[in-house]
Amino acid sequence: MISEKIEAMLEKVQKAPRYTGGEMNTAVKSWDEAELRFAFCFPDTYEVGMSHLGMKILYAAINAQPWSLCERVCMPWVDMMALMQEENVPLFSLESRHPINEFDVVGFTLQYEMSYTNVLAMLKMGNIPLRREDRREEDPIVVAGGPCAFNPEPLADFIDAFMVGDGEEQIVELNAVIRDARKDGLSRQELLKKLASVRGVYVPALYDVTYHEDGTIASFAPNCPEAPEKVLKAILTDLDSVIYPKEIPVPYTEIIHDRIMLEIMRGCTRGCRFCAAGMLYRPVRERSLEHLVELACSLEKSTGYEEISLSSLSSGDYTCLAELIRELLKRMQGKHVAISLPSLRLDSVLKESLEATQQERKTSLTFAPEAGTQRLRDVINKGITEADLMEKASDAFAGGWSSVKLYFMMGLPTETYEDLDGIADLARKVVGAYFAVPKGQRAKGLRVTCSASVFVPKPFTPFQWEPQDTLEEVQRKQLHLRDALRQVKGANFNYHESGLSFMEACFARGDRRMGQVLLRAFEKGCMLDGWNEHFKYDTWLEAFDECGVDPAFYAYRRREKDEILPWDFIDSGVTKEFLWREKQKADNAQTTKDCRQGCNGCGLQRFKGVCKFCG
Amino acid sequence: MMAVFEKSERLRHIGHLDIQRTMQRALRRSGLPVKYSQGFNPHILVTFASALSTGAIGRREIMDVTMAEDVTPEAFVSAMNGALPPDMQISCAKTMDDRHPSLTSMLYAAEFEIRIMDEDAAQRMIASLDSFMAQEQIITLRKSKSGMKEVDMKPLVYSVQGEGATLRAVLSQAEGSSCKPDMLVNALCAFLSMDTPRVIVTRSMLMGQDEGRMVPLETL
Ligand code: SF4
Repeated sequence: MISEKIEAMLEKVQKAPRYTGGEMNTAVKSWDEAELRFAFCFPDTYEVGMSHLGMKILYAAINAQPWSLCERVCMPWVDMMALMQEENVPLFSLESRHPINEFDVVGFTLQYEMSYTNVLAMLKMGNIPLRREDRREEDPIVVAGGPCAFNPEPLADFIDAFMVGDGEEQIVELNAVIRDARKDGLSRQELLKKLASVRGVYVPALYDVTYHEDGTIASFAPNCPEAPEKVLKAILTDLDSVIYPKEIPVPYTEIIHDRIMLEIMRGCTRGCRFCAAGMLYRPVRERSLEHLVELACSLEKSTGYEEISLSSLSSGDYTCLAELIRELLKRMQGKHVAISLPSLRLDSVLKESLEATQQERKTSLTFAPEAGTQRLRDVINKGITEADLMEKASDAFAGGWSSVKLYFMMGLPTETYEDLDGIADLARKVVGAYFAVPKGQRAKGLRVTCSASVFVPKPFTPFQWEPQDTLEEVQRKQLHLRDALRQVKGANFNYHESGLSFMEACFARGDRRMGQVLLRAFEKGCMLDGWNEHFKYDTWLEAFDECGVDPAFYAYRRREKDEILPWDFIDSGVTKEFLWREKQKADNAQTTKDCRQGCNGCGLQRFKGVCKFCG
Repeated sequence: MMAVFEKSERLRHIGHLDIQRTMQRALRRSGLPVKYSQGFNPHILVTFASALSTGAIGRREIMDVTMAEDVTPEAFVSAMNGALPPDMQISCAKTMDDRHPSLTSMLYAAEFEIRIMDEDAAQRMIASLDSFMAQEQIITLRKSKSGMKEVDMKPLVYSVQGEGATLRAVLSQAEGSSCKPDMLVNALCAFLSMDTPRVIVTRSMLMGQDEGRMVPLETL
C-alpha cells in the first residue's frame, strides 16, 4: 500500500507536514462517487503553493460541483523526491494520496516561468508521459492556467490544453466537457477538439507554426475547423456573482502567507508599462463592500486566522476602501484579528486604527519607485514622484521607523547611467529625510536598502518588443550602482543572480522551440530553478547549445512592429495597437493617465459592459 | 476546561508548536468564550500537559483551556469537534477549578505502545525483556541542559511488556525525570547489541497519581 510507504518516508524528510494533508477545511469527497477527478498541481513547494490565492479559489470552484472532486499536489522537496524514487512511490495528492495519473485531469498553475522544469518533474514523478504526443488514451488530460498561460508556447509540447483568463467558471466548463467526453467514449483527439470550444482554452495540437529563415514566425494557424483563429481570454464581468471560498485550507505548518487573503478587486487601472499583471488582469473589477464584509466574516469563522489581508494589484485604489476598512474594524472588534493592506494610502485616523489591529509592528517600510529618475518613471508610466516618496519617507521616520526598503528595476528600456545615479540620489535624499528628524525623536539604526532586480520584458506589455540588457551590460550596471550607493552612508544595495533573469526572459517571450530546450535542461538535472541553490545556469546554457537554440534570439533581440509574436493568437483583451501606442509614448517619455480618470482605449472597450471605466 | 484530544496517525509528524497553533485556531473557530492573555500579542490561554514528540501518535493527549465564561463540557466538546480537523478530535472534557495545579505538575507517567516495524527484531527484543529489566541498573545517556548526562533509567520504567510486535510500557513523565520511549528502545537494543529497528510510538494515556496509585490524568 503506498500510504504505508509514504508514512515510512515521512520519518526521514525535512518538514514532513508538507506532505501529510488532512488540514482543516480540506475536501473529503468520495473518490468513487466523483464523476471527474482533478489534481490541482502547484509546481513549487507546499509553503509557496498553499500561500497562493488562485489555488484556493479554483479548489473551491471544482469541489463546489457535486460531480467533481479536486485534490492538491505540490512539488516535493529534493529529499522527498529522492525517497519517492527509491521506493517507487509516484507523485500523490495530499487529500487521498492517489497517484496523480489516476486523476482524469492534471492541472498546473503557471505563476512564473522558472517553475516550468518543476512541471516536467511533477509529470515524470506521476508517471505521465512528458510530451503530449506520447500520452495514451488512459493518461490524464494535462492542462495549465495562470498568468504565464498567456504565452503558452514554451510549454506547448507538454500541455494538452491551456486555460487563459479568469478561471472560476472556465475550469468548471472544461471539466464538464471532459466528463461528458469520457462518458461518450470519445478518443483523446476528439476530446481535445471539443475542448477548443471552451472559452479561453487553447489546444496546441490543433495549431501549426512555420518559421522564416531568420527564425521569426512566418505563420501560425489552426489545423482544424474546431480551433478558433484567436483565443479570447475568459473574462468575468461581475466578481460578486462567482464563487469565492468561504472556507480555505488552514495548514498545520507555517506557510509564506499564513493568513486570509481577501481579493477585493481584480485588475489595475494604473497602466505601468513593465507590468504584465496590470495588462493581463484588465479590466478592474471590484467586489462589492457588502460581499467582502460577508466573505471576511465567514472566512474568519471558518479558519480562525488572526489576520486578514486585503489583496489586489493595488488595493489602495479600491473605491470604497475607507468604508470597507471601517466596516471590517467594526465587525472584527474583540476578535483579535489584524487587518492589513499592502499599500497604505489612507487618512491618518484610519491608518492608526489599522495599525492598532496589527500585533507586531512591521519592521520596515517598503516603496517601489522602480526607477531612479522622473524621466524613466515617465517612460514606464509609474505614477510616483520624488515628492510622494519623500513625503512618505519623512512621515515614516517621524513616526518611529528607521528601516526603509526601496525597490528598483535595472535595464528598463531607454535607461542610461544617469538613471542609475538617480537611484543613488534618491537613496541619499531618503537618508537626508531621516537626519532631518531631530535626534531624540527618530528611531535608531537607519537602514535604507535598495534592491534592484533585472528587468524582464513580458508579453502583452508595451515593452514586449524590447531587448533585455545583456548579461555583461547588467553586470556593468550592477557594479556602477554598487559603487554609487557605497557613497551613500546608511544605504546598502541588494542585487540578484542575473543569469536567472536571462533565462526568465527567454521563456517569457519564447516560442514552441523552447520546449526542446526545457526538456533537455530538465533531463540534464535542472529543477527548482526558482531556488537559488538549485539554479544551474551553466547547465541551462549547455541545454540551449545542444538544441541549437540561441537564447539571445529570445532575450536580446528587438522585435519589429509587424513581427508575428508567439502569443499573438491570444486575445488578452488589450490590443496590439494599444500596446504599440504605449510603446511609442514610452519612447518619448510621455505618460498615460490612470483609467479612473478616463478610458485610454486599451481594447477592453470592445466588449460591452465589461470595463466600468470606459464609456 | 480540561479536554482529552487525539493526535492521529496522519498527524504524527506535526510538531508540538504546530499542534499548539492548530489548537489556538480551532478555539477561535469554535466561537467558545475563551480567555486571551493580556499584552501586546494576545493569545488564547491554553496549556498542554506534555509536548508530544514529532513522529508520535497521541490517543489521549490533554490540554487545559481557560474560559472567560462557564460552558458545559458537552457544549465544549461539540463546538470544538466541529472546529477541529477529523484527525484531531476531542473525546471528553471536564470543568476544572480555576486554581487547580498545572497539568504539567500533575503529570506523573504515560503509557506508550511502541510498534516495532521489524518482526525478527521485535521477537528478540520481547524475548529478552525479563533479563533486560532484571539488570540492577540501566545506565543510559540523556540530554540535559548541560549536555549529555548518564542516568539510571530503571526506576523510570514502571512496567514494560511485549504484545505481538509491540512493547507496552509505562514510563515516567514527571518534570525533570521523564523517560522517552526511544530511550527504552535504544537501551534495550544496546543490551542486545543489535541495531535499533524502526518503531512507531503511540502515547496511549497520560497518568497522574492518586493516593499512590497511577490513574488516568483526566480523572484527577
Ligand atoms: S477599456 Fe479603457 S478604462 Fe477600461 S481598462 Fe481599457 S483603457 Fe482602461
